Parts: sequence; C-alpha cells; structure tokens
Amino acid sequence: MTQTRFLAIVAAVVLPAAALATPPDAEAAKRGSKAYGRYCISCHGTSGDGRGPSADWIDPKPRILTSGTFKFRSTPSGELPTDDDLLRTITNGLNHTYMPTWRALTELERKDLVQYVKTLSPRFASEPQGKPVAIPPRPSFTKELTAKGKDVWNKVQCASCHGDGGKGDGGSASTLRDDWGNPIIPRDFTSGPLKVGDEPEDLYRAFQTGLNGTPMPSFAESITPDESWALVAYVRSLRKD
Amino acid sequence: MMVRCLRTAAVLSILFASTRAEAIPAFARKYGVSCSTCHSAWPILNQVGQNFRDNGYQFGLGKDDPVTLSNAYVPLAIRATGAYQYTKVTNQLVDDGAGGSKNVDVKTGGVPTPGADFLLAGTVARNLSYLVVAAGFTDDEPAAIESAWARVSNIAGSSWLNVRVGKFELDLPASSHRGVSLLADYAVYGATNAGIGFNLGENQTGVEIDGHNANSGTRYSVSIVSPNEDPGSSGAWSSPTFYGHLQQAFDLSNTVLPWARVGVFGAQGQLPTVFETSGGEPVPGTGTKLKTFKRAGADLTAIFGYPATPFLVNATYVYGKDDEALGGDPGNSFQGGFVEVNWVPISELEYDATPWLVFARYDAVKYKTGPGDVSGVTVGVRRYLALGPRASMALHVEFHQDKTKGASEDPDGNPLDVTTQAAMVGLDFAF
Repeated sequence: MTQTRFLAIVAAVVLPAAALATPPDAEAAKRGSKAYGRYCISCHGTSGDGRGPSADWIDPKPRILTSGTFKFRSTPSGELPTDDDLLRTITNGLNHTYMPTWRALTELERKDLVQYVKTLSPRFASEPQGKPVAIPPRPSFTKELTAKGKDVWNKVQCASCHGDGGKGDGGSASTLRDDWGNPIIPRDFTSGPLKVGDEPEDLYRAFQTGLNGTPMPSFAESITPDESWALVAYVRSLRKD
Repeated sequence: MMVRCLRTAAVLSILFASTRAEAIPAFARKYGVSCSTCHSAWPILNQVGQNFRDNGYQFGLGKDDPVTLSNAYVPLAIRATGAYQYTKVTNQLVDDGAGGSKNVDVKTGGVPTPGADFLLAGTVARNLSYLVVAAGFTDDEPAAIESAWARVSNIAGSSWLNVRVGKFELDLPASSHRGVSLLADYAVYGATNAGIGFNLGENQTGVEIDGHNANSGTRYSVSIVSPNEDPGSSGAWSSPTFYGHLQQAFDLSNTVLPWARVGVFGAQGQLPTVFETSGGEPVPGTGTKLKTFKRAGADLTAIFGYPATPFLVNATYVYGKDDEALGGDPGNSFQGGFVEVNWVPISELEYDATPWLVFARYDAVKYKTGPGDVSGVTVGVRRYLALGPRASMALHVEFHQDKTKGASEDPDGNPLDVTTQAAMVGLDFAF
C-alpha cells in the first residue's frame, strides 16, 4: 500500500512533467549529429561531456552538454532553455569565450544542432523546456533611474562578487566556483559586452534568470521589473570603454 | 609560332602546381577549434571560414586581439607535401642524333624535394590583420614571398568597408591557392589569346576594397593592381588592372539543395606595347601605348546533400580577349572554365570526423582561332590521417590528364596535340 502510494505520488509529479517535455526531433537530431561531429566535437567532446581534445587548453571551459545546465537562457532559474535560446547561442557565439559564431552555417544546420544538443542530456526527454521570462519595454536610462539602480545594486549585494566599481573584484570573487568546481570570475562590468550580448535586455534577462551552473543567482523573486531595469541602467553606467 | 610556344608554357604550368598555401592551422591553435570549423575539408573553405577570412581573420568575440592570447602563441603555420609523382608528356620535339629532330614522349617519376610554405597570419590588433607567405625553399623553386598584405577591417564600424594593401590573391570564384588539387591549376585562369603573362590565379600587387554582410552571404571585392608579369608602364599606376567580384548566396535550408551562391566577376587591364630601350632591351617603367585585355565571367557554387557532408559543386565560366596589339591572331578571344566537385561523404562523432574527401574537376579552354585549346580532367582522394585542432595530415592520391591542341609540332613543322598525364601519391602536412 505504501509502495503503491509512493508510485502514485511519483507518477503524479513526474508523468505530467514528462508529458510536457519537448524531446528532440529525431530526424533533425540525426542530421545534427553530423554537424556536431564536424564543428563542436573538438571542444564539447564526442558525448557532450565538455572533454574534447581542445578543452584542456581553453578557458572558460566548454559547456558540459550532458548536464542540461545552460547559463544563457530566457527561462527561469533552473529550467531548461528554449530551442531559441540554444539557437541564439549557436548563431551568435559567446563573447570572451572560445565559442565562435556559427551564423555562417545554414539555418538548417544550426536548427539541427539544437535538436542534437537536446539529445545529449536526458533532461530534455523528461522535463518541459521553460517559458521565456517577460521583458517589459526598456525605459529611458535617466540619472534618476541610474541612482535608483545603485540602490538596487547595494540591496542585492552585487558588490560582494562584482566589486564596488563593478570590475569583478569583489571580496568573494576569488572563491567562486561553478557547479563542476572550476574557478569562475565574476563579470567585469567596466569593459566589453556580456558573453551573451551587449543589449540592455541581455542584462535584464540575466538578472531575472540567473546563470545556471554558476554562483550568479536569479533575482526574479527579490527585485521588481522596475528595479531590474534600474539595475540595468546602473550596471551600464559602469562601462568605461 | 611564338604564340603557340607561350600557350604551351601556360598549359604546362598547370602541372605540378607549386606548393599550395593558405591553410593555416595557427588559427585553429589560436581559437582552440578544429580545422573543420573553417574547412569543408582542408584546404577548402566552408562558409564559416569564408566569413572568418572576410572579417580579417576575426571571429569578433573578444579573442581576436593578440593581447588576449598567451605570450607563447606564435601565429606561424607550415605546410609541406612529400609525394611520389609521375608525369608523361607526349609529342615533345627532340634532336634525333642525325642533325634532325623527332617526337618522343617524355616520362619522369620520383620524389621531388618537397617545397614548403611558411605562413604568418593573424591580427596585430582589433581590425588590423596581415598575412605573409614565404614559399619554395627547393633547388628548383627558391624561397620567395608569395603573398604579403595588411588589411584594415570594418572601417567606420561597417563590415562593408575593408581595405587590403600588398600582394594578395584576387577574390576568385575558386581560390587558386587553396585548391585541393596538388597537380593542376585552373587552366582558364592563365588562358590568353595574346601570350601575355597575366594570370588571374597568380597573386597580384595592389589595393583591394571589399565588404560583406554578417554571414558573408553577400560579398563584393574590387581591386586595382599591377598585374603579375607586368612589364611596367609609365604613369601614376603602372599598367593598372581593375578587378571586381560580386557574390550572393542563398540559404535554402533543405536537405537536397541547402545552399547556393552565384557570382559575376570581371577584370580589365592595360599593358604597354612600346618601350624606351637601353642596349636594345626594354626599360621597365617606360612603356607607353597601353592596350587592353579583358576577362569576364560568372560562377555558381552549390551544396547538394547535407551541408556538414557536402557535395560541393563549383562551375565557373570565363570569357577573355586580349587586344591584338599585345600579340596573337587578330580578332582572337577565348572562353572556358571549369566544373569542380568536392565531396565529403562522412561526418562521424569522432575527433577526425571527416576522414575522406573525393574531388574531381574538368577544365576547358577554347580559342576562337588557332591552337591552344585545352581540356583536362583531375580526380583524387584525400584520406585525412589527422584533422584536429592543432595540425593536419592527409594521404593525397591524385591523377590528372589534359590535352592541348597544337601545343607541339612534328619535324616538318605541322602542329601536334600534346597529352599530359600526371599522378601522385603522398602525404600533405600542415601544422
């Protein structure tokens, strides 16, 4: 009886999630495996474990695709990315990393790669992909908004990692590790774009979603959308380049 | 007769094309990527490689400037090919030992001293790039600077405006310096109805302005150069030659014909016909009475099948006409081209994911009048023994045959066709 009840609870929790999962398109994934073997394998490895022959020599390390944990998403913290999130990363590459832009590949190949990447983690077969967080229209970045953003910066203690001036030299910066134990450096907001892009919306999205697999949390529960935009205004004011 | 001899020389130059350049593993080491990131099968560029090249050897993600690299990184690559080569050339006129002459077939075989290409390439800072290629280093082909240029990219923040100065390869429908064949150049590039030395496939010295959209689907190039074999004219720009190329690609994103690109190109140059002399010899730089030569053509490139395992077809047509004052038969002209197929049949989930390349090409040049018509076939296979993020080596097997109309003559002076056969098997290496 106890076992039956347990199974029923598991079924109630797991089965709906599995039912809502969007597993990879098998035909597209099969094609995408050819593109993966050609373009991705030297960093991400044959199985997607991030241990390709180039991996030892590059920093930051290649994404471990088998984990289903992705930094750059439009979905809430802890959730799987959408297909469009994966496609955006493949297409644009990631600034300050060794992930190049693949926009010159045909759209067919890039979309097939998305489907193949989804086969590398069992999460995509058992969990639904997240829904993109809403991003309200961008306000004008006034001095008042920037000043308000500094208050938010202090409220959520951004400086503990990113430093008072946003250079990525906060007190705890040297102690930070990602989920796999690799040292990770907080973003230096004073120069260059984010890895994922240089639009204010990219910052807003990062505040809302966090970066899965890293110490950067989501602030979706602790700051309002208005505060989030104010924080964007303040962080962008730190840019010196 | 003079024209016939010049055409013969041009045709024979298609054999044993000098060592090929511009496959640059130093880039793979710089960015930690595999050769197959940029090459459908080394040395053939794919669209990612084309885009990287069009961007001035930059991915544009903050890792291009050498200040971001380890001090130990050296932007140097080397390529060499060691191979057994066999050649047979028919109907060559030789002395018969009795004061006359006779026709024989000349056959040679062996392992020639491998040449080598040393390539320095990269960026000196953001949007400032360069390439220097020193090639040769054999008894027959002394070391020489094959290519040397500097480039300013993304002027005014636009990928549509880039400027390159130096000695470089024109933006051709198919690169003569990155072709997969190690035996034969593209015959039509060197075709001439006047016996002039201009060859589209040779590197030229001058200035190029080029541009492209974000994925290099639309791209253009215009150049003003002093052409190779330029005898030198007087003027602000010696024997100016203008070249332009416009290409438009179509991402069709289906599994039968996923991608295609069309292009048009043309060149118009001028060469002097009258010189001041010294001791009876022409003095370079004093040429006047410039006469025109023209080239015009169109190219079509298409991928059949899946792009990661492409059946890549390139068809190029060229029409050419040299002013009769430059030599040759009055009113003569030529047309020709090539159809080239490069097939990468396999892509596996292995570190050497694309181990095979099968290639074939048909070349043809036909003159309106006179001798020199060429038809040739090249076929080959490359088996990549290593194709990783540091270096590459391929077993290269190739056969070439061409026939040139009226390129030789019998002892009585009657024209004879010349058939050339060449084969090679060797190891092609790049680090």
